[in-house]
Amino acid sequence: MPRRIAIFGLGLAVAVLAVGSVRASDEVPPDSPRRLTRLEYIHTIQDLLSIPEEAAREVAILLPPEADTGDFDTIAENQGISGLHVRSYMAAAEAALDFALRLGPAPSSEPFRIDYTTGQALLSGTMDFFGGGVIRNLEDAAVLVADAYCTYTVDSRYYGFQVERAGEYRIEISMYPWQATSTVVANVYRGTAQGAAASLDEQIGVWDLTDDSTRTESLVTYLRPGDLLAPCVAELDGKGANPFVFVDEGLFINDSDYPGEGVAFKYMTIQGPLYDTWPPSSTRAVLSGVEFTDGGDIRLIRAPEEHLETAVASFAERAFRRPLEQQELDALVALGLPFLDEGLSFVEAVRVPLAAVLASPEFLYVPQVYYEGDLDDHEFAARLAYLLWRSVPDDELLTLADQGALSDSTVIGRQVDRMLDDPRSWRFVKDFAGQAWRLDEIGATTPSGRFRYDAQLGKSMELETQLFLAELIENDLSVGNLIDSDFMFVNRPLARLYDVPDIVGQDLRRIDVPAGSPRGGLLTQGSVLKITANGTNTSPVPRGTWVLGSFLGTPTPPPPPTVMGLEPDTRGTTTIREQLDAHRTDPVCNTCHRIIDPPGFALEQFDPIGGFRTRYTARLLVDATGVTPSGRTFDGIVEYKAILLDEQVDQVARNLVRQLLLFGTGAALGPDDAAEVNAILADVQGAGYPFRSMIRAVAASRIFRRR
Amino acid sequence: MAALWDRPLSRRTVLKAGGVALALPYLEAMRPGRASAAACLDEPKMVTICATLGLYTPSWLPETTGPDYQATEYLSIIDHHRPRYTILSGLSHEEQVGRQPHNSEITWLTGARHPGTDGFKNTISVDQVVAKDLGYVTRYPSIALGTNTPQSQSYTSTGVMVPAEASPASLFAKLFLEGTPEEVEREKARLRGGASILDHLLDKRNSLRHRLGSDDNRALDAYFGAVREAEVQLAEINVWSDRPKPVVDAEVPVDETNNAMLIRRIRLMFGMIPLILETDSTRVITMMLQDHSVVPADVPGAGSDQHGLSHHGQEPVKIRQLQLVEVAIMEAFRDLLDDMHARSGGSGSLLDETALVFGSNLGNASSHDTRHTPLLVAGGGFPHGEHIAFGEDGLDAPLSNFHVTLLQRMGIEGEGFGQSTGPLSWGSGLRACAGGDQEERGGPTRLPGLGEFGGRRYPRRGGLGRS
Repeated sequence: MPRRIAIFGLGLAVAVLAVGSVRASDEVPPDSPRRLTRLEYIHTIQDLLSIPEEAAREVAILLPPEADTGDFDTIAENQGISGLHVRSYMAAAEAALDFALRLGPAPSSEPFRIDYTTGQALLSGTMDFFGGGVIRNLEDAAVLVADAYCTYTVDSRYYGFQVERAGEYRIEISMYPWQATSTVVANVYRGTAQGAAASLDEQIGVWDLTDDSTRTESLVTYLRPGDLLAPCVAELDGKGANPFVFVDEGLFINDSDYPGEGVAFKYMTIQGPLYDTWPPSSTRAVLSGVEFTDGGDIRLIRAPEEHLETAVASFAERAFRRPLEQQELDALVALGLPFLDEGLSFVEAVRVPLAAVLASPEFLYVPQVYYEGDLDDHEFAARLAYLLWRSVPDDELLTLADQGALSDSTVIGRQVDRMLDDPRSWRFVKDFAGQAWRLDEIGATTPSGRFRYDAQLGKSMELETQLFLAELIENDLSVGNLIDSDFMFVNRPLARLYDVPDIVGQDLRRIDVPAGSPRGGLLTQGSVLKITANGTNTSPVPRGTWVLGSFLGTPTPPPPPTVMGLEPDTRGTTTIREQLDAHRTDPVCNTCHRIIDPPGFALEQFDPIGGFRTRYTARLLVDATGVTPSGRTFDGIVEYKAILLDEQVDQVARNLVRQLLLFGTGAALGPDDAAEVNAILADVQGAGYPFRSMIRAVAASRIFRRR
Repeated sequence: MAALWDRPLSRRTVLKAGGVALALPYLEAMRPGRASAAACLDEPKMVTICATLGLYTPSWLPETTGPDYQATEYLSIIDHHRPRYTILSGLSHEEQVGRQPHNSEITWLTGARHPGTDGFKNTISVDQVVAKDLGYVTRYPSIALGTNTPQSQSYTSTGVMVPAEASPASLFAKLFLEGTPEEVEREKARLRGGASILDHLLDKRNSLRHRLGSDDNRALDAYFGAVREAEVQLAEINVWSDRPKPVVDAEVPVDETNNAMLIRRIRLMFGMIPLILETDSTRVITMMLQDHSVVPADVPGAGSDQHGLSHHGQEPVKIRQLQLVEVAIMEAFRDLLDDMHARSGGSGSLLDETALVFGSNLGNASSHDTRHTPLLVAGGGFPHGEHIAFGEDGLDAPLSNFHVTLLQRMGIEGEGFGQSTGPLSWGSGLRACAGGDQEERGGPTRLPGLGEFGGRRYPRRGGLGRS
């Protein structure tokens, strides 16, 4: 176990904790290989089997979720494994192979076309039955005038569309604004039927319609049997009119006096499942060496036993991330032979050894479970690939490992660059931000109706933080930008939250932080401010704790057992700050709260979804003043960020190095590692700790090579 | 007021009169007149239901203890069952401040400390102790239920969460519907393939050890332990797969796909509980009433989501709306009690042989306070009819003591679980039950000593309410 350091009442604690999770040197060394996390399992089978990510996610539903340890889920010490896991891995392997193996005649790829001028289902309904589907039929389109009606009127099921087989589908949709005097929003949801209505589970496309021209958009989405697609609308101005008043018996707005805005939908086409080839590459990935007939069936060109060996060898080498030894291969092949002898089909027989591979320790653990000493090149390639791609190494990495070329720091640096330039590095961005900064908790609360928040804003916040991190990596920018930056990412919903004028469109783009804006850096992003609030009100404590723990890596210990959180009182007579001030007069509490509260005080300038505020209520003003432990006073986030920039850039960098090592190796750092961490930092300090360079330095470090 | 000799003497009364904080031996005079004596059950069953967003205390907790408490707003909903349940107060886990304020929901059944903070690993949950003990005497050793997500409060001894089933329809199919002949055949072929894969994996053990040149590899040990566990489980599952599934006289439930239908989701899953127990598909159920993160569409008058309302900030409007949601939950729970009371089981009702636990991990959800958690236990052969307060001077007794009591009721002896300092005692005195199935399997299972389930011996807080 990483030793928990009792620092209660010790002012020196923060300095001691600067290295983060510290392991005493007399404890068990960090030699345990770690298990693939559920997310890594998803990306691994996605890549190994060439299946869509969402298909892999469906498969992984069978696996137990990772336990909430408050630290990276990659850390070996905190991971568990059980009989339930083993059974789940076996079931998941079957499900993954079920999805991957597609044989027989190629399915039709004829697109299904929905013409919204033919809303036949509506004509047979009454208003009571539908609960209010409101639509207006035009010559070339059907108009939706309110979002509440999307679920009833226009989902794909009413036009006869059914998903026969799970897979990726290409959607094309054509629409234009109707009677719009401002920007209106069109979107498409994926959902499931729910009686006459539908639950619109996930927004898969969203567009700002800014001019009157027809807009045709396309996207690729994953659909399962039972799924439906529904266009929808948002941000429509009804001009004070209730659409119902204008509705005739057929649920149509035929009274042309309706003044409100709408979106006219012309058609949608749905094509899929999409296969790059037939049988699909997922089938070919599994049945290496086998040929296929025109009818999509397998054709064995050698003895079935030989094919079995070829297919298993090819698959297992990629899954184990190294060359196979003959006896390993023999043992796997032996699993399939009895089924061949029994007369089962080749495909049924080959599934057994492949499923065994996907439940083997050589597959499930990185690095390999039974070697000793430093990582060899194959294991190193795997560690690097799992860090930056959350998945198995590709052919180039494996070839370099075969050649023994991965000990050279120049080669490593080039590979890191190549891997970060690959789209798969987006998985690193998401998983790292998700865990290190707790971005995974973005959906944990639904803000109170007092705040102008919707799912689209939440999604935008999450993407903003991911893009911000990706930007630092892509352009090798200083980690000081995490404290404060002169650029930010916005789309229209974020721009409204951040009071940035003149931003139109749903796509996030990089802009300069406007003069006078408190934004810039990570601390002022809506995501962080939302994660550290409970949706209804804010407290300096969780926000200060986030800054200290997740951002600076200098966490304070939890409060003593008898102390509980403050009970918020939002009736408008006291502020949380007044309550906290009383609390801080207790010297025991003050030991930590003099450290925790100041960043929280600065962040009190932001409401639970990250909007800037100067007052809580008409009468209660926000007091964002504070004194840092170093004795410097500030008033508000802008001054606080200036102090952090002045004092804490080194610490932010140190924490990131520690987090990258932890995330990548799954082992806590020991006291002996301080020198190596310092060496990594020294490498990149001169340039102001540019992020990509830091990743390169971490990958080339001795610690990253250690078992 | 009842005559003094009618009223059981509470331990609290005795101690107050004596003025000393000492645990007294059990006196016969403390036996309540109205509650039946604790009975050991042939096939004890347990169900835990956790309202993870709390229960508003003033509407839950009676002001007085003993049998004559005035039912509060929520308890009046189930008051016709008063002789069949006990309100327990003054119980909680220590050190529940986690990374997130709601982390305490993952330790409600385990008692582990500081959930979700750096390096946290959960310990075994009370239901999984029982599941491990019972094994496959039933088709499933345990079943975890949810209303929205696969999150559960059931954790194995290695800290792995047992996923919850949130779909009543697929649960129903799993338990009560036979597959098509092809599905059955395929399943059997899979089980056979699975068995050979497990053999293969276990064979690796020797070759890997040989390579390692050392016996000390924790990851490998854990892995092979898990494979062996899976092997045993699959063998049992295989046996069950040959037996016909029970037939129930109930309609196949239709899932509620809209998660805004909070109460409907709860009611649908509550509807599964008696079916599961009556068919003896398992004897151990845990259920989490989860955060649905949307305004409940089936609670008229609720204007915010339940979590938002739980942070009412003392605003009366919000408190009223919170009560509307919680009343609807209590009404669903009442119907579950009605149902289980109406069904027969063992020598009494299904409720009589099931320890049905209802409560929350939060004592005050508005401040995420995990002290003074609400707790009710119905049925299960416990003496009932009272409100029993534990702890002293505002300090709670360990909630794990209740878990030990529950374990003893399920036939598992011993005192070491979570933060336990020993079992609770109330009413006519509870004793460990070691009858029924246990005897066939060679006597009762003993809990390990303190510590082995992650429990550590801590100084007692307060001294009352425990034997």
